Amino acid sequence: MKVAEELTIIEMEADSKEEVLDLLGNRLFEQGFVKEGFVESILKREENYPTGLPTEPVGVAIPHTDGDMVNKSTIAFANLKNPVKFLMMGTDDKWVDVKLIFMLALKSSDDQLNMLQKLVGLFQDPEMVSKLAEVKDVNELNELVQDKV
Amino acid sequence: MKKLLIMCGTGIATSTVVKGKVEQWLKDNNLSQEVKIYQSKVSDEIGRIDEYDVVLSTTLVPNNIKDKVIDGVPLLTGIGIDSMYDKVLAEIKRE
Repeated sequence: MKVAEELTIIEMEADSKEEVLDLLGNRLFEQGFVKEGFVESILKREENYPTGLPTEPVGVAIPHTDGDMVNKSTIAFANLKNPVKFLMMGTDDKWVDVKLIFMLALKSSDDQLNMLQKLVGLFQDPEMVSKLAEVKDVNELNELVQDKV
Repeated sequence: MKKLLIMCGTGIATSTVVKGKVEQWLKDNNLSQEVKIYQSKVSDEIGRIDEYDVVLSTTLVPNNIKDKVIDGVPLLTGIGIDSMYDKVLAEIKRE
């Protein structure tokens, strides 16, 4: 699959994870992929079940929330100009400096299983993570993930 | 047949990835016939965690069930996978 240009924010400038989630979540809402309340839901879920992953050389976050907030499954992407702190998945006291965000809008567990698995495969490759953090436009992003996502 | 539970916050995203990887691992180690996989969200399982032989989670769990739960995040980051599978295998082999 390809990440849509409207759902991609390159070199996002944000000071907090809340700002990141708000900006990217609203893109999904404006494009009709998610329902009203998606952003609030994703913020709340990030508090209870954080999604920061301590990948190398920079951290990745995969914010998402319950499927009933989603109209159509898709994925939104941002790389950040400066990292913001996300709590590490599975903890409530370890922080990760995140520069890459893949926001998942998933309706059900059958959706996008391949996409999710491939995405996770990318995260395990430091060279790929580093390249994703540096992409300058959506075409560059899709060239990197083309055969993999 | 051992019961292996994989859980995350929503029961649809990260637990799906972990499930796919664990299924492959079971196959590669000829354990598929010995283990049945269940997938769920944490909030649905807290009260019945003892029904399972092995529990993998990508999210934080309450302190009272912490000892029972193995951290599944290594399957998402690629860091610490071997020691995670060592723990899973020990639970599967436990009499």
